Amino acid sequence: MAVEINTPVVFERPPHTLWGDAIIRLRRNYFAMGGLAFIILLSLAAICAPLITHYGFADQHLDQILQGPSAQHWMGTDQLGRDTFARLLYGARTSLAVGIFTQFIVIVIGLPIGAIAGYAGGRVDNYIMRFVDVMYAFPDILLIILLRSVLGGSIYMLFLAIGLVAWVNISRLVRGQLMALKSRDFVSAAKAMGGMGPYITWRHLLPNALGPIIISITFNIPRAIFTEAALSYIGIGVKPPTPSWGAMIQDGFNLIFSKPYMLLFPAIALALLMLAFTFLGDGLRDALDPKMRR
Amino acid sequence: MGRFIIRRVLWLILVLFVVLLITFILMHLVPGGPWDREKALAPKVIEALNKRYGLDLPLWRQFVNYAWGVLHGDLGISYSYSDRTVVSILAHGIPKTATLGILAFVVAQAIGIPFGVAAALKQNSAVDYASVLFSTVFASIPGFVLGILLIVLFAVVLHWLPTSGWGSIQQLIMPVFCLAALPAAQSARITRASTLDVMRQDYVRTARSKGIMESTVRVRHIFRNSLIPVVTVAGPELANLITGSFIIENLFAIPGVGRLFVQGIFARDYTLIMGGVLFYAITIALLNLVVDILYAAIDPRIRYE
Amino acid sequence: MAPLLEVKNIRTYFHTQDGVVKAVDGVSYDVNRGETIALVGESGCGKTVSALSILRLVAEPAGKIISGEILFNGVDLLKLSDAEMHKMRGARISIIFQEPQTSLNPVLTIGRQISEGLEFHKNMSLHDGMLEATRLLKLVGIPHPERRVYEYPHQFSGGMRQRAMIAIAIACQPQLIIADEPTTVVDVTIQAQLLELIRNITKELDTALILITHNLGIVARYAKRVFVMYAGNIVEYGQALDVYHQPCHPYTAGLLASVPRLDEPRKNRLQPIEGQPPDLIAPPAGCAFQARCTYSLPQCSKEKPVLMQITPGHFAACWISQRGTKPWQK
Repeated sequence: MAVEINTPVVFERPPHTLWGDAIIRLRRNYFAMGGLAFIILLSLAAICAPLITHYGFADQHLDQILQGPSAQHWMGTDQLGRDTFARLLYGARTSLAVGIFTQFIVIVIGLPIGAIAGYAGGRVDNYIMRFVDVMYAFPDILLIILLRSVLGGSIYMLFLAIGLVAWVNISRLVRGQLMALKSRDFVSAAKAMGGMGPYITWRHLLPNALGPIIISITFNIPRAIFTEAALSYIGIGVKPPTPSWGAMIQDGFNLIFSKPYMLLFPAIALALLMLAFTFLGDGLRDALDPKMRR
Repeated sequence: MGRFIIRRVLWLILVLFVVLLITFILMHLVPGGPWDREKALAPKVIEALNKRYGLDLPLWRQFVNYAWGVLHGDLGISYSYSDRTVVSILAHGIPKTATLGILAFVVAQAIGIPFGVAAALKQNSAVDYASVLFSTVFASIPGFVLGILLIVLFAVVLHWLPTSGWGSIQQLIMPVFCLAALPAAQSARITRASTLDVMRQDYVRTARSKGIMESTVRVRHIFRNSLIPVVTVAGPELANLITGSFIIENLFAIPGVGRLFVQGIFARDYTLIMGGVLFYAITIALLNLVVDILYAAIDPRIRYE
Repeated sequence: MAPLLEVKNIRTYFHTQDGVVKAVDGVSYDVNRGETIALVGESGCGKTVSALSILRLVAEPAGKIISGEILFNGVDLLKLSDAEMHKMRGARISIIFQEPQTSLNPVLTIGRQISEGLEFHKNMSLHDGMLEATRLLKLVGIPHPERRVYEYPHQFSGGMRQRAMIAIAIACQPQLIIADEPTTVVDVTIQAQLLELIRNITKELDTALILITHNLGIVARYAKRVFVMYAGNIVEYGQALDVYHQPCHPYTAGLLASVPRLDEPRKNRLQPIEGQPPDLIAPPAGCAFQARCTYSLPQCSKEKPVLMQITPGHFAACWISQRGTKPWQK
């Protein structure tokens, strides 16, 4: 038995808190740190885009259309003579904004609903979960497309459309966490000491559910980014001239035989960003949930 | 078990009804109508069209009529494909979408499960690291990005495969692979994790203590148990393949349900959109039901009462 | 006649992140045909690992048998090929694990789990295997075996699962059964029933038994000889009654004081042994028990005692008793 050999092991390391331990574990994970570094660098580049390139994302240089990579246009130009590198940088703003703002909406909607269902239990929980079942019956991305048509074309409405569909996962997660934690002793203790319902939820339950929520959000961000790219690729995402990697891929796709690099740059950028988030998410999960470790 | 299935089917019908209702409301909230054209139609013509399609009735009457039709297998007439019923349009799309989805699913499991098992049995070996790396990469790269990279490589540079279309085996290879990449990666990850977990279980040691062959221990005791979590995600995976294929259908110009649906959205073809949503919702629900039944078959501890 | 099993000086080490855990560090014992011996000690003392070593089921790659010999009918099990070892496990030597909750495969019927050893070792068909499984279930006292044989572990109670484990262990009529704390997780009334069952069956089949337990109190009733283990070593062994009545090691005395004795009036309170077993990664230089021993001598922390005969057939590794004193004896 493993227990038998573990018993005499002496702990020489001073005990850390869950979060302290998690950070140490995360730091040792090179893939996760690489992903994090990529995300930070890309965010900085996106924010400082005007400092990095003097081209605007909508500047058309009709005398320089469809050029290959050169010293002047690092990644070439598109069919309207716009600088691909500049569009890639400004497009990162769109992607990252989608990733962040949709998660903001997801939390604002999903967290309270999940917390109410998990804390109240009984009939309230039952109704909420039935509604969640209906949401699950919808194909995610098709519902987003439908909502997109209803809400109109602005980018904020795109955030809302994605957020309105994606909150379900978080609320299910929060509900499950609360259900499991509710039965634990420390909650009974808090109740016995006269804590109020919402107070208990806020003070004791949410901090304990925080780990899984952070992990889930880390995995949801790339999903939202992918959704925006896919919608823009089809032509129902962000409206031109706002640069989007998905729309750039669509533009490049029409010229795939003559100028394949035009779509390779945004496609690779999208793939790298998704990969970075996955590595970070995996690292966070391994760091925060020691049971899941290999 | 029989009772469980009946209850689930009844619940499913209710869910489908609500799904249709929500879709109906959303569609009618969309600004504009099916008769928006570059050149505005004469009001008389629009009136006549509305009358013909029943769009002059109050909304609730429209929905009741539609729901009544659905019960009789009538999904109405498409607005954009003149005079074709939605059923006949979907009947052309479904086989393509289903073929893609099922093929991709089979390919995904055929690749993912063996890789996951091999990685677990040889933990921390080169096979394991390769399997973990590939499954992470394929789990994160979006299918259409992968599709583009494949098209550039195999169609544009090497000229081995056609870029798009439907009908030949060659035309199937890239779309199936693009769709299969994600579920293959997921299956490999889940299989690896569950196999590692099962290998540590006491009952595997018991099986070894009986002296039976190692291959029997692996197939009968480890594999069967490690498959349980794989089965539970198989339903959602297949559902995702079928509903998520619309981007791949667009990329490779495959006239499946997904492409029809997107066209329907652009054309505000209400009946076609409703038909598409219905098809997807039924697919998801049925697959989940099948998984629940399979789950009970593979794990005797689960009994639905 | 040579003993059925001779374990000679085996060392089984585990490689962990913190260092090498010397779980079993030079242990020897022997079992005669049809004899029951007991291996006694606290959890973590290496008794389970030493038993798993016999079957070569120590979890690899972390665990490894470093050295020693395990002679079974004069053949060294450690030198057998994997294929030859497969023919030993289940057929000649079998084991009953301590956790009936987790030691049975949840997705196979009880009958199938009993029959698979028979199918492999005795070339039985599945049908014959299931018939034999039914007979075995009846033998271990499970009512309605013809129905139970098709049921799954979760439909069995804890005690019944352990009976099924016993049926698995005796299926191929092995010459040696290892029972690893077979009764720790079932309740007290069932414990006694199970031990009686194991004793009757081993007697009937003339099977040798290694009974692994932490409860020295039950040993005298079932085992002929007792081996007491502490920190990966055997610290005392002898005839069960001798060890029981005249322990020659303070650890054994401590174990006896910590369990209720049925043969004495309840005048003394149960005394737990104070302190923790030593770190098996870096064991102390002298006697491993020295830090917890009330009677220790200066010599105890310097030199590691070896097993020496105290009275005929009764051995102990203790400097105190080797001087002829037993201060723990009241």
